[in-house]
Parts: sequence; structure tokens; C-alpha cells
Amino acid sequence: MLPEVVLLSLMLLVAAATYFFTRRANSPNPTRPSKAEADLVKVVLSLEQTKLEDLFRLYRQEFGAGAARYARTTYNRWKSGEVRPNRQTFNRFLMHLPDVMSFDLKCEVLRKLRQEYCSKEHYKLTVDTGNWKEMVAPLVTGMINKSYKAELPKHIEGRLRWLSADDMQVARAILAESQAQESKQAMLLIGREFINIEQLLNDTKGRGKITHTIKLPLGTITLRVKGRR
Amino acid sequence: MVDENEELAPQKQSLFDVTADDILDNALRNLDDKQARDVTKKAADEVVRIAIEKRLAEHRSNAAHDEMRNLVNNANLLDQRGGDYQINSTFETATGTTQVQIRRSKSTTAIIIAAAVGLLLILSLIIFLVAR
Repeated sequence: MLPEVVLLSLMLLVAAATYFFTRRANSPNPTRPSKAEADLVKVVLSLEQTKLEDLFRLYRQEFGAGAARYARTTYNRWKSGEVRPNRQTFNRFLMHLPDVMSFDLKCEVLRKLRQEYCSKEHYKLTVDTGNWKEMVAPLVTGMINKSYKAELPKHIEGRLRWLSADDMQVARAILAESQAQESKQAMLLIGREFINIEQLLNDTKGRGKITHTIKLPLGTITLRVKGRR
Repeated sequence: MVDENEELAPQKQSLFDVTADDILDNALRNLDDKQARDVTKKAADEVVRIAIEKRLAEHRSNAAHDEMRNLVNNANLLDQRGGDYQINSTFETATGTTQVQIRRSKSTTAIIIAAAVGLLLILSLIIFLVAR
């Protein structure tokens, strides 16, 4: 009788412990942000140096010297993912600071968000120095058109309400045009690159293998280049 | 009278007809003076940024051209010395990166030729023996 009681007690204990720990792990922690929110903080912290300085200056102005010092010292660990920023940090960087950011800084944050979250296309194809243009041009044209239509995912738009303000709608149009112009510019420059590539293929007399990757704002086109047929 | 009736008639406009251009036009109309100035300045900044990026890209293209020429010269030098080699090189160019691999493998070619000759000899020997 005694061993059965002990066994039953043990089983009850294990079940209770499992229930307790599962419940604790699943319960939302108000100070712990979701992974998506932590990733958004990382994206903002990847701004170029001068813009990042502007951001930290605003952070200090809004939340005090102590908070700013902590943010600066923890910055690298947030960026690398070693430390996950808490909910307060997310709210400060992405909910409160945009209210006091300059239009220019908000545009740069939006640019980073577009780079990170707008869907990208990656193409790989084999071309020769005679037919590359007819193969590549339609792909670049597609990416130019995509620049005008690219949208951030709904969950980000929904979380960052400041993105729907009138000035940010205009910012979106400016950045879309900018991305389209960058792609058009790449198409103009690629002609000169192919002159270099063709010369290299001729000079190496069949010993060379060449792969050229065109990097565009909304994707990449990787070309394995062969000599003219 | 007809005109008055037309004015009083409710305007039927589907919400689903709103295009991205409509949203942008509406947003532009709603900007205050400061926001309008900020937008104009940012648009001008972007034009300058793209022009600078174009100039930098042209520099990268010129530099890549020179580096590629050096690579070919090095490969030719290695050719003159004889022996096998493989050079892998990556260049930052105007539109992205170019990866180049140049290789020469005389010994591999020699092994393949020797193997083919050996195989032919063995086949000839077998045919000779069978025919006999």
C-alpha cells in the first residue's frame, strides 16, 4: 500500500510542476517584447552612424542621461542579438521617438524598414556577352515596377501607427522613387560592366569563369557569364 | 433647377476605388508648411544622394577594370612559368560584385590523356587476344 501512495504522490507532484512551468512559460510577460519587436529595434539600430547619433541625442533628450548611457552601452549587444531589448526599449525607440524625430530621420528609419522587410527577389541565370541585355532588362524592369508597389508587412504597419501619417505617406513615395531610380541607374551602368567582363573573358582565353551579381534595392540578379556564342 | 438637383444628389464614391496616387495626393494636401518644406528638402537630398552614388559606382567600375587587367597579367605570368594554378578574385563593381576564377591544370589534362591511351592499349590487347 505504502509504495503505491508514494508513487501516486510523486506523479501528482510531477504533474503539478509541469502545469506550473508550462503556464509560466506561456503567460505573456509585459516587459518582454516579441521577437518581431526586438528585430525592429535591431533594424533601427542599424542606421548609419550620423543618423544613429541623432537618434541617441533624441533618446537622451526624451528619456534622460541615465537611460541614454544604458542605451549606448547596450547598443552593440542589442544589435548582435546577444541581449534582447525589453518592451520599454522597443516603445521608446519605435513608438515615442518617432513623435519627436525630424522628417529626415523618420525617412531613414523607414528606408531601413523597407530594406529589411519588403519582399525581395533573387534570380540566377546563365547569359553570354551577346544576349545578356535581353535576359536582364525585363528582370530589372520588373524590380523597378516593384519599387513603386513594395509595402511593409501588415503586422509592422499595424504596430507602427506613425507610418500611416500623411508625411510618412509622402516619405514612402519619395523612397519608392529613389529605389526605382537606383535600379534604373544600375541598368545604365551594367553596359559598361559587360564591356569589362567580355574583355576579361577574351583575355583569359577560355580559362576564366565569371559570375556577376547585380545588387538592386529589392533583390539580386546573379549571372553566370559565358563568352559570346 | 436641374443643376441644384444635381448638387443635392449624394456623391457616390466607392472606397475601393482609392488608388495609391489618391492617397499620396491627399497626404500632400494635408501637409502643413513645415512638413511641405521638409518633404521638398528630402526629395532634393535624395536626388543629390543618387547622383553621388552614381559617381561612386563609376569609380568602382574604373577601379574594377584596372584590377581585372592586373589579374589577367598575373595569370599570364603564371602561364609562362608553367604548372597548375587557380586564381579566385572578387571585384566590387558599379552594380554589385564580379567573381572571377582563372585556372590551368596541365597535370589533370595529362592524366586524362594517359588514362585514355592506357584504356585504348588494353582494349587493343583484348581484341588482339580474342581474334587470335
